[in-house]
Amino acid sequence: MQKSEMYVGWSTKEDVRKRGGSGGLVTSMLAAALEKKLVDAVVVLKKINEFEAVPIITSDVNEVLNSAGSLHSVPSNFAKLIANRNLKVALPAKGCDVRGIIEQGKRNAINLDNTFIVGLNCGGSMHPVVTREMLEVMYKLKPEDVHGEEIEKGKLIFETKDGKEHAITIDELEEKGYGRRESCRYCTIKVPNNSDIACGNWGVTGDLVGKATFVEINSEKGAKLLQNAIDAGYVQVQKPDEKGIAMRAKIKGVMEDLGKKWKGKVFVPIDNGRLEYFRKELEHCIDCGACKAVCPTCSCGDVSKCTEYHFRGDAYKMSMYHLVRFLHLADACIGCGQCSDVCPVDIPLTRLYRRFANPVQEQLKYEPGMDMRKPPYFEVKLNE
Amino acid sequence: MSDTIYSTICPGCNFGCGLYIRENRALDVDFRKSSPANAGKLCRFGMSLPRFYKPIKSMVDGKETSIEDAAKEAAKRISAGKGSTAFLSFGNTTCEELLALRKASESYLCTGVNFEGLPKDTYQTLSVGIPYSEIENAKHIVLFIDPYEQYPLIVRRLISAKNKGAKITAVWWKDLALATENIRPEDVSKLQFTKDSLIIADFHPFSDVEQVKSVLSLAKNAGAKVTFLKPFANSTGAYIMSKDAKQKSLAQLVDDINKGTIKTLFCLESNPLELIPSEALGKLTNLIVQTGQAPDTKANIVIAHEPLYKKKGTLINNEGRAQALGGAGTNGLDALGIVAGTKFDFNSLHESVKKALGVAAIDEFTIPKYERPAYGAIQAAPKQPEAKTALVSVFNPFMWSNLSDDNDFVELSLNTVRALKLLKGGMLMIKSNGSAIEKRFKVAPVPDNVLLSCRKFGIEKGTITPVEISR
Repeated sequence: MQKSEMYVGWSTKEDVRKRGGSGGLVTSMLAAALEKKLVDAVVVLKKINEFEAVPIITSDVNEVLNSAGSLHSVPSNFAKLIANRNLKVALPAKGCDVRGIIEQGKRNAINLDNTFIVGLNCGGSMHPVVTREMLEVMYKLKPEDVHGEEIEKGKLIFETKDGKEHAITIDELEEKGYGRRESCRYCTIKVPNNSDIACGNWGVTGDLVGKATFVEINSEKGAKLLQNAIDAGYVQVQKPDEKGIAMRAKIKGVMEDLGKKWKGKVFVPIDNGRLEYFRKELEHCIDCGACKAVCPTCSCGDVSKCTEYHFRGDAYKMSMYHLVRFLHLADACIGCGQCSDVCPVDIPLTRLYRRFANPVQEQLKYEPGMDMRKPPYFEVKLNE
Repeated sequence: MSDTIYSTICPGCNFGCGLYIRENRALDVDFRKSSPANAGKLCRFGMSLPRFYKPIKSMVDGKETSIEDAAKEAAKRISAGKGSTAFLSFGNTTCEELLALRKASESYLCTGVNFEGLPKDTYQTLSVGIPYSEIENAKHIVLFIDPYEQYPLIVRRLISAKNKGAKITAVWWKDLALATENIRPEDVSKLQFTKDSLIIADFHPFSDVEQVKSVLSLAKNAGAKVTFLKPFANSTGAYIMSKDAKQKSLAQLVDDINKGTIKTLFCLESNPLELIPSEALGKLTNLIVQTGQAPDTKANIVIAHEPLYKKKGTLINNEGRAQALGGAGTNGLDALGIVAGTKFDFNSLHESVKKALGVAAIDEFTIPKYERPAYGAIQAAPKQPEAKTALVSVFNPFMWSNLSDDNDFVELSLNTVRALKLLKGGMLMIKSNGSAIEKRFKVAPVPDNVLLSCRKFGIEKGTITPVEISR
């Protein structure tokens, strides 16, 4: 097995196949890594209910096999969870998780040689509270009656306990303010080729639809992880057909184009009153520091420039905390949306950070979290 | 290796914010985005919880001991005191423990607030607030609080209401950014209330009874809705669970300690130094504190049970939403049993809690149905501060918990800065009752005769303290 090879695979364990998404390959690959001591620990989601799961670090193979798989309404980011813990670890990761992990690696908070990143194709995630409201308002369903969910052909489908499926197009949901988180809509990392191995259901064809995972090996570590799972008897694979490979590439292209369109829609240029726009958006800030604490690319700790230059007793019209963070994130923001998720006064922080990051990262031709390249120096140009 | 994670509720106030506490090398806070009260979002206090949960050990007269022996010694001293013991809990613990405390307390129970001074038919209105979704759908909101400092998670609900077209009037000492109209407390009589108005105030041990009556009266006369926010994790639960119990106010408790009729004070998950003057505490023969995190007061007996996040039990938030704590610990209940000379069974207390709420199971996504009885006409005579300059203490989670915060300054007006010729980066001298302190200052949209502070400086006399200021 080597880099760039593609396979279609599934778990050999029937219960994992049933419970895990798309044949349970990821769950089994993680369990095998633990069982065969390729890693000391694995990160999985422990399911609480259909709309809640909590990420845990575990060395218990059974806990991995009984984990939740992936849930669209659990928008967590695992990078900070494993930072500064010196673990030999394997973990599933959406594109933004992978980018966070790589950025922590650049900042020496994660040893990437000891980190096996299982990338998950991702079309976007949803906020659980918004999802519950969406079920009641748009689907006319009680959240308690929901048994499972799936995204297929542009539709968000919920399965209820009576076995019925309820589908609405994502476009319609997003038009009404539901559906994916804003940052997911304009994200263009749909297949995480920055991970060690990229997994997802796009490209699975024929009888295997819904029962298998399409994988692409991106690194030696990725090959080792999959081979280990096969050798341990946890996973079976076969070569994908040409139709599947083409289909996967097509879906990836369509999703990326959609992300670009959303980017244009969200980031309408502000020609005048740019300073007033930022001041207004930040006027309700209560200085909780949650945006920094949750940021998967920040590794400064408690003592950092953004906090040390800022004092609540200062009467600046825009706090130094935010100004320093705008500057720091211009070349570091990965657009994961975590800061907006946790902001207690609903400041659309990711949108604000991206307003600085988009032009800077485009000008520098530098996308953080995509590889180990360090950010180039940037210069400030003053308009004459 | 496996992470230990607790799904819990923030003890900062009664908003009911869900979160995870992760026990690794140290405590970590993690965001529980599915929580209906806060969608996983936390304020500055919630983010500071690893500092709040300071480990604690059981002690008797300064000597470390087991929780059982500390509780046995407490029982012995309470029994020897023959009716001179008061039992105090502001509501920072589970309904199950509060029911047990009520049974243990016999004749002297104090939840801190002054229900005795208020009409009985307002008890339910004061105890249980309205759902936050009703705040988001209100047409006119009148604030008698500073939402940013006191109950920060309500800010997003207010912004949501404003985005839907609500008018927000702040009756406060400072102009609030989210308000469409800012008026000062002394001008409240000029304000027009209608049946579409929703009044948001708060109710706590330092609430001025006449001020509370005034708010109730304004709502009554206009047919407006009124909701009271509260500062302790389970204030609402404490009031519901002690609904028909005879309760003493904090002022009465302090009086009784000063008179010497109360010689032993038993505090359950409540830091007495926060609310009771240290001179009064010094008069006690025995101060017994049962708690889950280190108190900043010297108690004769410390009964150290699990911190709140490890407990099993029920909390009820401002909306009346019942929330189950995700821990399994009941050693607080066991200790209370030893103190009371009985054995408390969690399951039967839990059944009583469900019965009191009229629910078959604790479900955080469904708010139980509460009666919201109308109350009669109320006469109120709120007093305005007469001092030339007043220091207004804005009580917030950090102050209630005596947790340090980055708020060591006062806010004052630009006119005051100019009149006193204060210099940027300089200090303001504040004098009160013979004490003097120097503080940093921040210019803010406040009246010229007001200093606002979100921290206790040690010179305060309640919410409003007359002071003299100079450069």
